[in-house]
Amino acid sequence: MALIEYDSEMDINPMFASTHADVWQRLADCGTWWTGPQRVAAMSEVRAAFDCALCSERLENLSPSMIQGTHDFVSGLSEEAVDLVHRLTTDPGRLTQEWANATIGALGEERYVELAIIVCTQYVIDSFARCLGLSLAELPSPGDGIPSQVRPTDVGDVGAWVSQTVDKALANVSRAASLVPDTEVLWRDIVQCHYSRGPEFSELVWNRALSRPQVELLASTVSSLNECFY
Amino acid sequence: MSLLRASSEAIENEVKIEQLEDGANIEHGPALVRYAESAVRQDSDLPESRSHLLGVAGLQALVEAAATVSAFEGLNRLADVTGIQLDSGLADESADFRSELGIDAYAGAASTKSNGFAQRAGDVIGIFR
Repeated sequence: MALIEYDSEMDINPMFASTHADVWQRLADCGTWWTGPQRVAAMSEVRAAFDCALCSERLENLSPSMIQGTHDFVSGLSEEAVDLVHRLTTDPGRLTQEWANATIGALGEERYVELAIIVCTQYVIDSFARCLGLSLAELPSPGDGIPSQVRPTDVGDVGAWVSQTVDKALANVSRAASLVPDTEVLWRDIVQCHYSRGPEFSELVWNRALSRPQVELLASTVSSLNECFY
Repeated sequence: MSLLRASSEAIENEVKIEQLEDGANIEHGPALVRYAESAVRQDSDLPESRSHLLGVAGLQALVEAAATVSAFEGLNRLADVTGIQLDSGLADESADFRSELGIDAYAGAASTKSNGFAQRAGDVIGIFR
């Protein structure tokens, strides 16, 4: 039985298809700190990072900082923005606070976080397609508008590299992107669809096609391969 | 890893987290691990590992596996790029195995100031307190 009988997520599970279609288009909307065209440009850089010679060379070396150079960029985004997108896409386990501080210094804290949300959300959708042998979706058409540049008032230093909601409701990862709430909601939607699914997250026994231990085995394996401490 | 152990205990399955690469004594564990490894590394082995998982666990299980792998590809990235610390409950919950499994050697460990005290939480909410 080969999965190539299926052309899209819709053939497999409508829940994924509808969520992906909705989130995918909203990724291209005007954000709080980046315009629609800039967000789609970032999405094009995510795709380009896999063919970037600098990223490949850095992955082969003990430390990415040992290799200097220019990324194979495909957009008009700044050098720092391209570096953030490419490194987060191809080598997330070796990001350092020193690098983050320099990037935040160049982009601004809010732009750093919004760009990170775009990359991470797109990565989930693209990865799902690759996992199932499906074609990657065409990049969405950028929306119009001018970023509002409104920073939430309930954020501050909670010990992470970026400001986050001061009130801790659940896991730290669930507030990691809270500095840009209007874009964070895309991230929440995709994680809810793929993994946590509302109150079910708090239950240790799940009634899905995979048991919770099976799901957590996959989660542990991916996190181990990515050398993710969290 | 903490939720792998806690959820396995909830169904009285003797999980072996030190044998993660071999499937940790989870049903279809070897096929799931092989699939996740192929997907994350984007290996040429991915179509074969996908077909194998499909054969042993079925289509809906495969789709859930793809959903989980892709979700954690994103979750790992967001955690890394924002430099979040371990929740204190998670630090406590994982204190007894992080060092042994080499997790404390990951670059992201530098973001967490407290190693925690080895003690178990009573539920999922307690792990993330």
